[in-house]
Amino acid sequence: MRRRPASFLASAGLVVLLLASATLAVTFGPADISAGDAWMTVLHHLRLADTAPLSPLRDAIVWELRLPRILAAAGVGAGLALAGTVMQVLTRNPLADPYLLGLSSGAALGAVGFLLAGMALLMPLGAFLGSLAALVLALAIARLLGGATPTRAILAGISIAALASAATSLLIFWSATGDSYREILSWLMGSLSGTTWGDTGLVALALVVCAPVILLSGRGLDAFAFGDAAAASLGIDIVRLRWTLLTATALLTGVMVAIGGAIGFVGLVVPHAVRLAVGSRHRVLLPASMLVGAVFMLWTDTAARSLFDPRELPVGIVTALVGAPAFLLILLRYRRIT
Amino acid sequence: MRRLAALPLLLGLVVLPAEAATTYPLTLQNCGFAVTFDKAPQRVVTIKSTATELLLSLGLRDRIVGVGFQDGPLPADLAAAGAGLKVLSEKAPSQEVVLETEPDFVYGGWESNFAGDAAGERPSLKQLGVASYVSPPACRSIRPPKLTFDAVFAEIGEMGAIFDVAPAAAALVAKQKAMLAAVRRDARGLTAVWYSSGTKAPYVGAGSGAPAMIMEALGLRNVFAGVDDGWTSANWEAVVDANPDVIVLVDAAWNSAEQKRKLLAANPITGKLDAVVNQRYLVIPFPASEAGVRNVPAAVDMARQLGALQIPAK
Repeated sequence: MRRRPASFLASAGLVVLLLASATLAVTFGPADISAGDAWMTVLHHLRLADTAPLSPLRDAIVWELRLPRILAAAGVGAGLALAGTVMQVLTRNPLADPYLLGLSSGAALGAVGFLLAGMALLMPLGAFLGSLAALVLALAIARLLGGATPTRAILAGISIAALASAATSLLIFWSATGDSYREILSWLMGSLSGTTWGDTGLVALALVVCAPVILLSGRGLDAFAFGDAAAASLGIDIVRLRWTLLTATALLTGVMVAIGGAIGFVGLVVPHAVRLAVGSRHRVLLPASMLVGAVFMLWTDTAARSLFDPRELPVGIVTALVGAPAFLLILLRYRRIT
Repeated sequence: MRRLAALPLLLGLVVLPAEAATTYPLTLQNCGFAVTFDKAPQRVVTIKSTATELLLSLGLRDRIVGVGFQDGPLPADLAAAGAGLKVLSEKAPSQEVVLETEPDFVYGGWESNFAGDAAGERPSLKQLGVASYVSPPACRSIRPPKLTFDAVFAEIGEMGAIFDVAPAAAALVAKQKAMLAAVRRDARGLTAVWYSSGTKAPYVGAGSGAPAMIMEALGLRNVFAGVDDGWTSANWEAVVDANPDVIVLVDAAWNSAEQKRKLLAANPITGKLDAVVNQRYLVIPFPASEAGVRNVPAAVDMARQLGALQIPAK
């Protein structure tokens, strides 16, 4: 059970990289605020510095706009990468991502429903309820088919996703008025615009509740990779473990989708990239995926909010623009493995 | 058709004298598409409020057989004229719904009104003998130049020619020019953000559409003037960083000025903006915020609102 020093070092290195990234990212943005002033502002709010260097408005830009969004981006990236890693093992499907069981489509349906009902502020709740409903439905259908095996769950998930997407389109067609479709579209593409401290708190809460459950299941996930029978022969209660992990993953994904919309590619690409770098042992893979996901999301979102100043790009476009070629590169580089 | 082809094309390019009677057939280039009128249209479908309001302003109520996709109620001065118009669809009407009214002309406020899943592609309408016209400032096939009031007046003039009501068009343009001339540019050097919609990311007036045109007429410096587009999805950081002197609130049925006021005040960041703290807002109805006959009256009204605002010198 001893940790290998190398993997411990890798994780420690990633933590340092994440902190450095956050420190640097807070100095980026459309407003012209010097790095020193931005850092002093953060330190001031953390009660580590006496004087606030900026006017109240510019102070708010750093503390109310940039910092919660940076932290939320890191959290969402970590959550999606972690959820993606688990889904890939649980379903033994390299194409699995956190949204595989219809979670993102369900979330979209819930969010759009709430938005069009005039409850824009409750969109995250709608997304969360929608993703949970999709998951429960998918698993219930899989059970009806004779037990929640990976294949059945995926097939059920595909049908749920298709149904929810169609319902979402119908809802938009039916009742989107004026330019409210613009907001929906931006959310469907994945966007962290307008993230508040409250959102950041939710992301953190989801990670604190769900991540330990997943991180402590590393050994079980290792066994899963060899198949249910092999896992069972190692004395693992596979049914219980699968349900525990699926629930934790769904909760995690539900919150991430609620906050950031259906941000694509992070949950698919990051686990593969990290697996190729550190191997498939989940005790190493899970934390590394989480940290790489956090750093990746943090920088893609920083690009989304600052590259096209004063305009704003949905971050889902950036993750796909960066993620898809990266994924291809990985596939080409390691084609013997696939 | 062949013998008619060349001449009207030339005629269309010639600027028609303001009050001349129209010689048909009339061909004009509209948004990259040649449209020919053999006579003044008799059965018209208008899509979007801007199109309906322009024709009503020219006294063409009896030609309109159906309207679609109206953005809000008609202004007071057109309400009587427009009462009882047949609404084909709350949203963009489909081709069959449009054709059912047997129109000879479809006038759309957006180019997308002529998509396959809306009134139908323009060539397909042409084959059926239905002329079509896209409000030139809303053209996407050909990028229109930065919008000016002259371009708005030109559209009025073009409709005057199409319907052979040039005197009415000229009178309307003259009236609007006089109203516009009376709008005094605010000399206080104020900055403004034109807040159209959006919560997570604000959708704002940019540098080349109706919002820019109206703000310039009011003497307001548009924070997002640098973005070469009619409107753009901005980010709150840019808005907060600029801390505009006034905020223009677009009052739409689906997203009222009151909702925007509440949202701005409730948000911990925008709640600190000078314009929000001091309630320095200008309100414009949504249908008046797109290029059309309501731009000038809106500018007059907003100039009055702006003049009433007390803004301490910085």
